[in-house]
Formats: sequence, structure tokens, C-alpha cells
Amino acid sequence: MAVHRGRGVAAIEYPTGMNQNGDPSQAWIKVKPDGRVDVFSGTADIGNGAKTIQSQIVAETIGVPYDWVTFDNSNTDSSPVCTGTFASRATFVAGKAVLKAAEEVRHKLLEIAGLEMEASADDLEVVDGEVMVKGSPTEKLSVADVAGAATYGHGQLITGTGAQLKPYAEILDPETGVVSSPPHSAISYAACAAEVEVDDETGNVRVLKLIQAYDVGKAINPALVEGQIQGGAIMGLGLAVLENAYPYYPSVEHRGYGFGSYYSPGMEDLPELETIIIENPSADGPYGAKGIGEMANNAQPAAIAAAVHDAAGVWITELPITPELVLKALEAKAEPRREGKLVAFDDEISVNTVGAGISWMP
Amino acid sequence: MNITLNGVSRQISSPPLTPLLRVLRNELNVVSAKAGCEAGGCGACTVLVDGRPQRSCLTAVGSLNGAAVTTLEGLGTSENLSAVQQAFVHHYAAQCGFCTPGMVVAATAYLDAGGSDDKEAIQEALGGHVCRCTGYLKIVNAIAAAATQSEFDLTITAEEPNVVVKTGGR
Repeated sequence: MAVHRGRGVAAIEYPTGMNQNGDPSQAWIKVKPDGRVDVFSGTADIGNGAKTIQSQIVAETIGVPYDWVTFDNSNTDSSPVCTGTFASRATFVAGKAVLKAAEEVRHKLLEIAGLEMEASADDLEVVDGEVMVKGSPTEKLSVADVAGAATYGHGQLITGTGAQLKPYAEILDPETGVVSSPPHSAISYAACAAEVEVDDETGNVRVLKLIQAYDVGKAINPALVEGQIQGGAIMGLGLAVLENAYPYYPSVEHRGYGFGSYYSPGMEDLPELETIIIENPSADGPYGAKGIGEMANNAQPAAIAAAVHDAAGVWITELPITPELVLKALEAKAEPRREGKLVAFDDEISVNTVGAGISWMP
Repeated sequence: MNITLNGVSRQISSPPLTPLLRVLRNELNVVSAKAGCEAGGCGACTVLVDGRPQRSCLTAVGSLNGAAVTTLEGLGTSENLSAVQQAFVHHYAAQCGFCTPGMVVAATAYLDAGGSDDKEAIQEALGGHVCRCTGYLKIVNAIAAAATQSEFDLTITAEEPNVVVKTGGR
């Protein structure tokens, strides 16, 4: 009886967005007379940081400070269509829509600035909230002044719209599955290495360390990306060793009857986490970004199962890897009982003992 | 009956067996305490009762006559964040934010009771709080930082994550 350590690794590739199936996102942006920027987008922020990332994309693309940007997704009437926050698409698809809208805003801003500064819009650039002549940074006008001139001098609204859609792809040949347009060129890649401890007496698996490398194309906000990867790691850990709503699926027997009977990972389950973000840019995403949301909790169960095999010499082929499964696998692997061997656990005797007036039900 | 909520005396008209959580959210419109499992298991409803963290979903309001109740709203304002709140912002310790009020309240009580930056002690103290987004690490790091009374520049993110840039072809 001993505690064994083992290591395992698993890799994953993950497509971003709903490829070839009509997955639109739209955005519109207007600039207030004081140069502050309002973004209207339908992307719900469920904690993934969609508001932050899309605001960053707008600020970077127009050339204004981040805190000038207000992101409004509060109202489905005033915001344009966004299919939603799923399929790891909030940055990749919706972010591309706000990028296109912001490019249009910058174009209009420079046109008005050209009139004000008596220069061609092509010779101007926006840097940190100021429009300046390229190569001559002393000739400049603040974005606030340009927006004010647009409002009160030229009678114009500096605004822009953008939309991103991967159109529905028609199947051209049902035999081969050839389709009319290629998928998004934004496949994310990742790998997870796990180190675990397996107790061969209790069957308990404890995850000690997860090292994870994720290709996100471009980490627009590295702290948010790291948050997605760390959060996904613990979700994956839960899938690997804890979480099970239907332990005897498809039978519904023994399903949980309350909050406490569904084991989600707690603080005590937190292993050592090491995160490596790899930037391998995509052609389609904003600034080369790919999706990170959903792929972040897929590789851990496989890596942990491989680590359990390394530690205890048994492959567990269903999830979660409960102590019961580990002990059953260890028992099946052990040498067959010989006649006359001391038996510590005997089904018949033990079941009778347990049944002798002791209730195990709550 | 009366409770002192975040320093202000409030009269309660709900029946005495009403959970404090429902009084806060439905009668007093103080909504930082969240209704998670409502069975004492998730920690999202945690508030301070006379300085001690307590599950408001399991606390009958009738047992609190004259008590001082502190919710997240009583710890700091968006202009003047408490040390724990600053640390949570600085370390990006929230994603969806549902567990955050309970985490911040419990962490405040842990530090007020003289808690250290020892990570195992923090994990023990906040063991009853479930978070399904962050993976806990940034929360533990934030509380450890608050324990050392770190001052934060909230315009700068914490440790830069390990980013490897791969160039040349896809």
C-alpha cells in the first residue's frame, strides 16, 4: 500500500467560432463631441472579458486611450446583432466586427481632421488621442477637437459600423464533403502536462501540478487569457476526478439530490499551475487572435488519466476517475486469488456486515 | 426589529424566520450577497455579522435583532476600494463576479482576524467558497497580497503572464 506519483500529457486542437454555419456579429461606434468613444455591441460578457477586450481593440484601432472607450451591451434594441458568447467566438468573431467599425471611425475622423488641419487624410495618423501629420509630430490636433469640429463646425457624426460573418458553406459533393468556402483559418493548439498522486489503498487521485501551453494567436489581454486558462484548468480537473451528475448514466439512480452531492473543485483541490501563452497568429482574427474560451478545459482529463496510468499502471477509460474506478482497475490488474490466501475483503461477508443495522443513507 | 446594516440602522418588517439573504435582497435592496445554492454550501451569500463571516441564506433575520451586518457595500466604494478589493482588481481575481462578494467579505474577515499570506491558511479559511470561473489561484494570490498590505497601482496588471511569441508561418 503506497502513494504513487505519475505524469501524463495530452494535446488538443480547437476550431474557433461556428465554422461555415452563419455566425454573425455586428457593431457600431460613435464618437461624442468631446472625443469619447461609444461602442454598441451585442456581445454578452459572462466573465470572459468581452467588454474589456473589445474596448481594447477599439482603442488600439482608432488610436485613443483605453479609458475613453465606453462599451454598451446593455440593450438588445440599441445594440446590433451578436450571435452570442459561445464557441470561443467573442474575441474572434465579435472582436473582428468592432475592429472593422473602429477602422471606419478612424477613417472618418481623419477626413474631418484633414479639413481642420488642411492636410490630406492619407498623411494623418491618430496616436494616443491626437491626430498628427505623419513624420511631423508637432502639427497635431486632439481627437476631442476634431470631434467637436465635426459636431459644431461640419454638421457630421463620426461613426462606423462593422460586421463579421462566415457565410453558410454549401456542401458541393455529399460523397467527399467538399464545401463551397473554406473554414476559418484559426485553429488553436494546446497541450497540458499533469502530475498526480494515486493512493492504491483508497484509490484517491490528487492532482499536484498542471503545466499548460496554449496557442491563442494573439493575447490581446494576457491577464485575461491567463485567467481563462487557469479557470479552464480547474474545470478540467473537476471533469477528470470529481464531477458527475449521473454516476450510472443512462440510469438516473444515485444522481445527486442537492448542492453538496455534486463535487465541484474547491480551493483545497487547487494544484500548482503553470501557464504558457503562445502567440501563433491567425489570418482571420482581430490582431491575429484565436479563441481560448472553450478549449481551456478539454486536455486536462486526458492528461490526468495518462498520469494515473503512469502512477498506478491502470488505464481508467471513463470520467470522472473516482476512487471506486481506480480500486476496481487495480483489483482487476492484480494477480488472481490463490486458494488459501488471506482475504481482507470478501463480498459476501462484508456486505452482510454492512447490512447489519447500519444505514448509509442520509 | 432593527439591524445595523453597513453602519445605518434599518428597521426590518419581514417575518423573523426569513433568511437574512432574502431580507437584504428583497426588502432592503442590498444585492451584493448572492443567492447561490441557498443551502450553505457555496459561500456566495456570505456577510459579516458583528464582524464574523456568516452564511446569510441560513441565518434567520429574527436572530439578529440589534446586530451589525456588513455586506460588500459596507467595505468600500468604487472611488475608495478596501485593501482586499484593490488586491482583487490588481490580481484580476474575478471573472463572472458571482462568488466575488462572498470571497471579498470572507477574505476581509480572515485578514481582520490576523490572517497571514500563507496560501494554505487562505485555502483553509476560504475553503467553503466555490468559484467556477477563475480556478482560485488568482483569488488566493490576491488575498495573500492584501495580507502583506501591498499598495497597488490599479492601472497596471499584476505579474505579466508567460507569453511566447511564435513568428514565421502558420
